[in-house]
Amino acid sequence: MSATATADDHGHHDDHHDPGFIKKYIFSTDHKMIGLQYGITAGLFLLFGFFLMMVMRWSIAFPHEPLPGWMTMFFSENWQARWLQDGKVTGDTYNMFGAMHGTIMVFLGVVPLGFGAFGNFVTPLQIGAPDMAFPKLNMMSYWIYLAGGLLMCFSFFMESGAAKSGWTNYSPLSGIADAQVVNQWLAGQTQWLLGLVLLITSSLLGSVNFITTIINLRARGMTWMRMPFFVWAMLVTGFLLLLAFPPLEAAGIMQLMDRVTGSSFFMPSGLYTKAEGLLEISGGGSPLLFQHLFWFLGHPEVYVLLLPAIACVAEIIPANTRKPLWGYKGMVYGVIVLGFLSFIVWAHHMYLTGMGPLVSTFFQTTTVLISIPSVILLTSLIISLWGGSVRFTPAMIWACAFLPMFGIGGLTGLPLAFNLVGLHLHDTYYVIGHFHYVVAPGILFGLFAGVYHWYPKITGRYMSKFLSHLHFWPSLICMNLIFFPMLTQGMAGFHRRWYNGGDAYLAKTPDSANVFGTTVAEHIDLNILMSYAAWFMALAQVPFLINIVISKFAGKKVESDNPWNATTLEWATPTPPGHGNFITEPVVYRGPYEYSRPDHDEDFLPQWEEPKRTSEEPQEEEAPATK
Amino acid sequence: MEIPFVVTPRKDTGLFNSKIAIWLFLASEVMLFGGLFSAYVFLRIGADYPWPERTLPVLPGLLNTFILIASSVTVVFAWAALKMRNWRQFQIFMGATVLCAAVFMVFKAIEYNVKFHHQAARLADYSMVEGHIDYERNHSEGDHGHGGEKLKGVDGDYIEANRHRFEIDEMSFDLARYHKPWVEMTLAEAEAQGVEIKLASDIDLNRAGIAETDPSKAAKEGEPLSFDLLARIRKAHLDNRAFNSQKRTAFLREAWAIKKKEIKDEDLLGEAAFASEFPKAFEMSPEDKDKAYARWKAGMRARMATDVSIASVKMSDGSSVDVTLEGKSFSDLELPESPSLTFKTSKPLLVRYKSHDVITDYKVGNETIALRDGTGLKGKYADSAMHFHYVDGIDFQHLVMIAEEKNQDPLVAIENSWLVKENEIVAELWEKHQKALGLLEEKLAEIGKEPTEKDRYRMGWQEIAYYMETPLDQVALTASNAPPKVTMKLKEHFMGPDYDVRKFPHINVPREQVALDSKFTPKWNTYYAIYFTITGLHGLHVIGGAIVLGYYLFCGRAMYLSNPEWLANRVEVGGLFWHFVDLVWIFAFPIFYLM
Repeated sequence: MSATATADDHGHHDDHHDPGFIKKYIFSTDHKMIGLQYGITAGLFLLFGFFLMMVMRWSIAFPHEPLPGWMTMFFSENWQARWLQDGKVTGDTYNMFGAMHGTIMVFLGVVPLGFGAFGNFVTPLQIGAPDMAFPKLNMMSYWIYLAGGLLMCFSFFMESGAAKSGWTNYSPLSGIADAQVVNQWLAGQTQWLLGLVLLITSSLLGSVNFITTIINLRARGMTWMRMPFFVWAMLVTGFLLLLAFPPLEAAGIMQLMDRVTGSSFFMPSGLYTKAEGLLEISGGGSPLLFQHLFWFLGHPEVYVLLLPAIACVAEIIPANTRKPLWGYKGMVYGVIVLGFLSFIVWAHHMYLTGMGPLVSTFFQTTTVLISIPSVILLTSLIISLWGGSVRFTPAMIWACAFLPMFGIGGLTGLPLAFNLVGLHLHDTYYVIGHFHYVVAPGILFGLFAGVYHWYPKITGRYMSKFLSHLHFWPSLICMNLIFFPMLTQGMAGFHRRWYNGGDAYLAKTPDSANVFGTTVAEHIDLNILMSYAAWFMALAQVPFLINIVISKFAGKKVESDNPWNATTLEWATPTPPGHGNFITEPVVYRGPYEYSRPDHDEDFLPQWEEPKRTSEEPQEEEAPATK
Repeated sequence: MEIPFVVTPRKDTGLFNSKIAIWLFLASEVMLFGGLFSAYVFLRIGADYPWPERTLPVLPGLLNTFILIASSVTVVFAWAALKMRNWRQFQIFMGATVLCAAVFMVFKAIEYNVKFHHQAARLADYSMVEGHIDYERNHSEGDHGHGGEKLKGVDGDYIEANRHRFEIDEMSFDLARYHKPWVEMTLAEAEAQGVEIKLASDIDLNRAGIAETDPSKAAKEGEPLSFDLLARIRKAHLDNRAFNSQKRTAFLREAWAIKKKEIKDEDLLGEAAFASEFPKAFEMSPEDKDKAYARWKAGMRARMATDVSIASVKMSDGSSVDVTLEGKSFSDLELPESPSLTFKTSKPLLVRYKSHDVITDYKVGNETIALRDGTGLKGKYADSAMHFHYVDGIDFQHLVMIAEEKNQDPLVAIENSWLVKENEIVAELWEKHQKALGLLEEKLAEIGKEPTEKDRYRMGWQEIAYYMETPLDQVALTASNAPPKVTMKLKEHFMGPDYDVRKFPHINVPREQVALDSKFTPKWNTYYAIYFTITGLHGLHVIGGAIVLGYYLFCGRAMYLSNPEWLANRVEVGGLFWHFVDLVWIFAFPIFYLM
């Protein structure tokens, strides 16, 4: 290992000009610190979004009972007086929490965690770059993201409350929301849009930076097909963000115009509301246009969420099965095709709008097509397990759980791809169950795996194995208890936006002639099970939070810079990597997953290791590093 | 640490970092403007009103096109000059580029400004009036009603005549969300008009024995309206609301505790209870019975929820248990709330609000109106008519479209429109227009063509100015057989009609005839909405680009001396962006100005 050094020798090799606390930890231009900033911020947003959901789940399970004290303690008395009725969640409040839960989880939580945090930390290391191509731009991305997120969340404290029209923000509902506010800049719905424009700007800067870095800053010898799959996934994600987000930005700007200047981009003629009567607008706009623009982003966004998680898993599985990633090339081509196809499937979210059979058929076809590359990715990962000598490290158990969980998420999506089934299941809990299986036990598990995998590189210490199991098993069980019943409820017709969980619809007597009412009554008790599972799920995250903090100080120290005996370049850096990452410029000699090569004594052959001149000569000094 | 390939290109890609970045950035910009241009297509195809075609003055737009193209050329020369290490030449060409941007923005600003001051109204019958309401020049005949009046608001700005004017006797504020500037405006108006606004009745939000008596929570009848008073009562109200809300929550929790204890003790959801209430379930198959039990339990739970309230809980035996905490019920503790506060005026106070801010739909004789911030006004409408001092556009295209949908004769519909029927001057103009149209039809028939909808049903300012100065019998086509109109002077291409020279009619439109009023802003219709959005965003790009290029011009000297190649790279990248800005305009110009 000529290019590596231990942390003690060289850990602070580049710190001869100590940048000071503020520059090092707050306004840092180091991609690793920015990655951590992204990670911590996104983690906090995720917890916040989860908390909103816990409150909503109370309203769903016990619509007539006041929130328990452990929830209301987070709200001020004034806030409770404004937004709760006798301590119960109202429809308005539920809508607000629902809209913000979705927004926070997608835009402020998972994307920044996957792309912002993991992408930032790992990508430059894996391609052997000293930093991102534009470090200052990188810093700017983070701060704009933070500003956008805070702007959205501060609207909870305004008289109008935060946005209430769903994370999809459909017009004309969102166009008339908060109309009672005279100064529209101070309405939650407007601030949502402003926040969104900031977030898009941030991810735009980020994606330009990522793609440029990957194209131009690869180390010597790092050819395209020697790039780890992680980097490929980040490249495709970068392109998705780059090209899919701007149309939503256009939609956001137009909706902002609708709100602030009174225009009618998305407002049809003759719109009438109870509060205002015939609206004083010109009309002539198209609500459908917003949906098109939204989902043009919205669908690629799904893959922006997903790819970083798959990328983490694709790194963790080879390292812990001690064999190469199966079908590396297939996965690379698969992910590229996935990227392309994701741009032409968006209207499968809009079957119910009556776009016409021709359009629906087109999008149905492309949607079914996109399952091919998705299945290639997942299947390759599963086959990678075959015949490996699996080490169940904390990261590996999460990665293994990712596979079936994401599998359920993906497979439950297939019926939704079909127009006719889509009409029936549209906006039901089935849809919620489907995409939460993809995002929560799927993507989040993949990202958890990533945390456990790269933590030793970040801190120089392992995370506690015991706590990680204490985190994993309850999470796995609770996740399924939350989301599996949703599929059942959805098929029974439960609508996703019932703030009282269906209470208003159930038949009150067992022999009622109301067919829908009796179906609701049969499935409504699942609400209680799901809600308890959600609250236990929160408890299950406590070991993780403890683990991540305690291990920084008390975790077992790593023995080398490459604790997992992995092959990719990030493990060639000192631990933790200093500013500039590599001590000597790394050179890449081979592909990313050279595990268990028969011609090599150790069961891994890192990318940076110089080839031996005579490989036949037996080596005597080191025993194989398998454990 | 140094980032590689900042200045020199990487060998295998042949590019330096920022060049990749700018191409990527431009790709996203293409998607951004692509989204907006698709929106244009979508809106135009789906428009349910006559899409305004060729309404913008072409000359300024055309000039701007040439200016931007020229600047795209000079920016390349500036880059070439840098490559040849000729600083002086760089300065000249970059200076020219930035200058072009400035001229472009000046033309743009003039164009916008004219629109922002141009009023339009859609009437109840879908005919449109365009013109000016907020100023008047050069007319001393005094035949304009109360026109010519420049209403001067208390804040010193000129208030446009286009307001709902209301004489109020009483107003009540929603304490949680009254809009401060409006209160300020009301106070100032009251002072200017010598009106006193006083609290209508005593208010006291104290309750002895529950909370400490606080004089700031009370006010006497006749106390004058002030921010202080509003803020004081608002605080008292919100405090009491918070107190009550806490108590209500606590009592409801207690009520549920009582009910849940009963459910548990009496096993109200158990199989036994099910059996007694629904015996026939036990004749069903076990599977059906389980389902029936689940249904019954859910229904039972929902029914029992109605037994629980803050004051009392109904028990299963029909009795009722009062909910108390420490021996007190909620009504013993409840503090008074006052969501709104009502004031009376000493004599009718004239207030003005934009129609957007008045929630209540206008009706003749309306005595109460609600404002957007929850303020309620009582009184009566004063004259709220829109006084168009210069009508420079009358458009029946939308009216005709609606009439044709109803299978009515367009000409009859126009004859019956409020504009033609109630306004002699419009009837006169319309007669002249019909004559001109007849001549035009004859001429066009010779070459097998017909007048367009716009020719038929729209009188623009040039036509109106022509008809105003031409008697009926002298109306004739132009020498080139075009519809008759006055010729535009150069200044009018940019600034719109010259009101010192041209004559235009004056029309008072009563408020009940106005369906929608707007300046020529995004609000007026989706055409202006998308026009302002795309050109505005483009304008921001021009400004942003000019700032960056200007930075290279004025602050680039140091870099030129230390690393000229780096500066050349930067200018190249900035120039690529500049070309893109130019390209957007080349798309925007035809679709907004020519099509």
